[in-house]
Amino acid sequence: MAMGVLWGCLWMVAQSIVPAVIGAAVDALISRQTHRFALDCAAVLGLGVITAASGVLRHRCVVGNFLDAAYRTIQLVTDQVSRLGETMVRLVSTGEIVSVAAGDVADIGSVIDMSGRGSGAIAALISTALIMLSRSVPLGLIVLIGAPAMTALVGLLLRPLHRRQHVYREQQGELSARAADIVSGLRVLRGIGGEETFGDRYTDESQQLRRTGVHVAGTESYLFGAEILLPGMFVTAATWLAAHYALHQVIRPGQLVTFYLFAAFLALPLATLTEAADKIVRGYVAASRVTRILQLEPDVADPADPRPSPHPLASLHDPVSGLTTAPGEFLGVAADSADAAVELADRLGRYGTHAGPSPQLAGIPIADLPVSVVRERILVAPADAHLFGGPVRQAVAQAGCAGRGEARDPSTADAALLAAMDVASATDVLDAIPGGLRGRLAGRGRSLSGGQAQRLRLARALIADPEILVLVEPTSAVDAHTEARIARSLRQHRAGRTTIVLTTSPLLLGAADRVVFVRDGQVAAAGTHHELLSVNAAYADAVTRGEDQ
Amino acid sequence: MTGDTTISAGPVAAGRAAGPDAWSAAGQILPVADGRQVRSYVRRVITSRRRELVVVVALYSGATAAGLVAPRMLGDIVNDVTAGTTAGRVDVLAIAIATSLVVQSGLVRFGALAAAKFGEGLLAQLREEFIDRVLGLPLSAVERAGGGDLLSRASRDVSALGQSARFALSATLTAALSVVLTLGAIALDSPLLLLPCLVVVPPVWLGSRWYLRRATAGYLRENAAWAEVIDSLAETTEGARTVEALRLAPARRRRADADMAASYAAERYTLRLRSAFFPIAEASYVLPLAGTLVLGGYAYLRGWCSIGQVTAAALYARALVAPLDELISWLDQLQIGGASLARLLGIAEVAQDRGPDGGVPQGTELAAVGVSHAYLPGREVLRDVSVRISPGERVAIVGPSGAGKSTLGKLLAGIISPSSGDVTVGGASLAGMPLQELRSQVALVTQEHHIFRGTLRENVTLGLTDATDEQVGAALTAVEADGWAAALDGGLDCVVGSGGVRLSAAQSQQVALARLILADPHTLILDEATSLLDPRSARRLERSMAAVLAGRTVVAIAHRLHTGHDADRVIVMADGEIREMGSHRELVAAGGPYAALWRSWHGDPRPVPSSSSPEPVDETVHGAVERSHAQGINGRCPVDD
Repeated sequence: MAMGVLWGCLWMVAQSIVPAVIGAAVDALISRQTHRFALDCAAVLGLGVITAASGVLRHRCVVGNFLDAAYRTIQLVTDQVSRLGETMVRLVSTGEIVSVAAGDVADIGSVIDMSGRGSGAIAALISTALIMLSRSVPLGLIVLIGAPAMTALVGLLLRPLHRRQHVYREQQGELSARAADIVSGLRVLRGIGGEETFGDRYTDESQQLRRTGVHVAGTESYLFGAEILLPGMFVTAATWLAAHYALHQVIRPGQLVTFYLFAAFLALPLATLTEAADKIVRGYVAASRVTRILQLEPDVADPADPRPSPHPLASLHDPVSGLTTAPGEFLGVAADSADAAVELADRLGRYGTHAGPSPQLAGIPIADLPVSVVRERILVAPADAHLFGGPVRQAVAQAGCAGRGEARDPSTADAALLAAMDVASATDVLDAIPGGLRGRLAGRGRSLSGGQAQRLRLARALIADPEILVLVEPTSAVDAHTEARIARSLRQHRAGRTTIVLTTSPLLLGAADRVVFVRDGQVAAAGTHHELLSVNAAYADAVTRGEDQ
Repeated sequence: MTGDTTISAGPVAAGRAAGPDAWSAAGQILPVADGRQVRSYVRRVITSRRRELVVVVALYSGATAAGLVAPRMLGDIVNDVTAGTTAGRVDVLAIAIATSLVVQSGLVRFGALAAAKFGEGLLAQLREEFIDRVLGLPLSAVERAGGGDLLSRASRDVSALGQSARFALSATLTAALSVVLTLGAIALDSPLLLLPCLVVVPPVWLGSRWYLRRATAGYLRENAAWAEVIDSLAETTEGARTVEALRLAPARRRRADADMAASYAAERYTLRLRSAFFPIAEASYVLPLAGTLVLGGYAYLRGWCSIGQVTAAALYARALVAPLDELISWLDQLQIGGASLARLLGIAEVAQDRGPDGGVPQGTELAAVGVSHAYLPGREVLRDVSVRISPGERVAIVGPSGAGKSTLGKLLAGIISPSSGDVTVGGASLAGMPLQELRSQVALVTQEHHIFRGTLRENVTLGLTDATDEQVGAALTAVEADGWAAALDGGLDCVVGSGGVRLSAAQSQQVALARLILADPHTLILDEATSLLDPRSARRLERSMAAVLAGRTVVAIAHRLHTGHDADRVIVMADGEIREMGSHRELVAAGGPYAALWRSWHGDPRPVPSSSSPEPVDETVHGAVERSHAQGINGRCPVDD
């Protein structure tokens, strides 16, 4: 950053000296001092070269520092978001995080930019002041007081404009959202109709925006005029005074030119300083927003005195519902309401805060275990788990890499991936992605159908290969044929590890070792799917979805 | 410390190099207009706004000319002061400068207003024409294009074009006028002193060309790379719970680092461009000034021109810097705007897919005759499918994923046309029917749903814009949405969609079905149209709709077997072919794949046949049904239907 300041100063000061040299050259000519004139011309050229060189060096410094600050901020926020995990969703909106990357980062970086340009502006002001005062004290004072006054005056005029521009930007955002809306729903519009309704509305809003734009421009145009008139009049007045000084030989004619150029040049460093003040305020606001996000703490924290991780192949028991799994069991859980199933899954995986005693892993409450141990041993895969974009291998198999798969060589990893994809009947998803296993998945699983996305989520959970896997309605969007296939192979694939499937699908429940029926949050019955179907009417009603009513 | 960030740009960036190609292969489906088409379009639009443009040019020319008075006057003052003159003469010249300033600022004021009127009008015209083109896209293109490409054109390209139309066009114009008029002013002052300025034209010209050829692509890549950074962070946030559950934190960090490495590489590229070009440009700016001084000095000493002329020329040469700078920076933006315009205009290049053949449907029987379809040449997803659907019949299509169910649905709805074979309604080909006519015959609702920004009423009445509130209410009741619809603040006038009340996925599907009921075609294709509702409500909704749609033909594609149970006829598909066809009862009796599935659904302990997809039947479907009848009902049928 110090280099940025140095180059910034050199860059601005070199520019600020040029008017003095031009004036000196004119005077040298008038007095026919050819040698001095030649030196002045060489100085103009030299200053130009210095300006060009220091300008580009300053720019390179600034870009480097800017990016460094921006990237570091993104790294910090990414890590923090990952650390907050599930808590994140409740504490900060996605929009807020996105605005860090889309805006705050640039605001913070701009402060660094201003450190170079701002100090350059101050240096230029000082050098200009010194040169002018050495030529003529009264004229120098007039210029040094008048130029900032003009800058301040123009700044005042800008205020109402900012407000109007804000209105314009808002309308522009609305219109852009309208266009996105039309495009997103185009299939519906073209399939059923309504193009005219929405087309006309777009035209109306577009014309409204046009009128607002012209209206804003009306204000803006006065400002453009004033920006020329006010400083121009000041320069003219200063020049007029300087001309009279020159006439009375207080200053030389070339110095008159210098004063004219200075009065005009000063607008540049002054504007830079105004900008710097604005940027520093924005940078401060942005930095405090980022700091707030970085200071958030997750809901679920490690206990003060964590107990050691229990032996492998542990049983899981939930005192609240009375649910118990034997190690290695494939357990079906049918709940009478979807919400109850989700809540049960969250409790078993220690997500969020729940009333009542904590579930126990091999008799130890999971609240007494470090969160990382719970996450490692129990994986809850909700129906709406996020599918990340990126290379297919990473998008699906990354979970495995985080755990025991780290050491796997690529071909074994691919084999495991394909095996899991096969179990989840998701191999056809690869056909739908250009490049297959080598291809890329669009973010949020956008390019996949609901069924494809669901099967890919299942495959991902299987690759992670946790000791206890809790699946929530893993096949709700999958057709019956495929669901039957998944039910068969899932049990086989998970042999030796505990799998809890919360579902009302008869196909999945039929494949389970044991089924538990949860009613009003309590285990109401247990047995095989077929036993329960024949003896428990409420169970039959919940899982056959009223087929026989 | 220049550019020393902590991110290594090398290997990661190289690893991602394959990315953009894969994206463009997947994302860029709609055409982009070529240079000739863009130029002719721009010519047409500019011609239609010629008058406005002439006013802008005239006002800005006047303003620029007025701005050129001051240096000349200053030169005169220097002349006069050197020669010795009166205070009155100086005052007159100062007043002349002041007057020129008043004129200049006045003209700038009106010029800016005229330029804004021109720019805003131009932009409004461009974006409205784009939306018109989008709304006229053929159904098959909409189907093919998906959302991404079109969405980025509607948002990113329209906004890039906005920058160009609103600012770049008039700024480029003003800057160019300034350069030309300033050169003219030097020529007026002293033709000889124009020479140093002309000397720099070749290097500036060549340098800018070199820069501009590379800069646009560079900046677009920079923006795209930064958009990736933002998108990844957004994904990490949206999927924060998944990140925690699957312990993806290191992976997300690697992803962020990879994105930033790509962004860094893009930034480095444009930085290199600027590092090469900016010094050339800046040095070129100073040359005219130094050259004017040298040549002017020589000419003055030789007595060829006055000191005032030299002063004025030097001031003019210095004044050239700002507009030249402006010109180059806006040319960049204009290029980006041009690229966006090409993408916006490309929409118009999509060929219309329906050529009305004048066929008039006789009746309402929907039929597919020997239909095959391939999205990509050589990859048939549907092979020789024939099916006749009688008016008023309720047909369910079931089968494993990838069986071609949805493709058959789109073909039956006329959204896409088959590669071979024909889909007809009442004997008339769907492909040869005007869109309006097609809509009155058959409509498709898929599980993909969309709620528009607007009132609930507007969302339901898409197909029947003059529907009464009673009709809307009845349609909502038929899809069991009357309860929550009434509870909305404002009822039918409640603003829904993005920016309004967010409807759940299930509610959105209900709205989609209500639209269909109001549009009232005689044949409805429902592709997983209730899959997002919970199973119990889905079934209730289907029954309630069945009552409203009595007499209508309904083809339902579903993954839930009860849909087959409720239908008149079930079509079982696998691998792009029809494998079984018949009523639910017949198929259960036939003991084929459908029957096995139905049994396991209902808790029959015998496993589903182990083959992953139903075996092809070598007899006709009817034969299969007859054969199973002859064998008697094998297997328990648990449902007394």
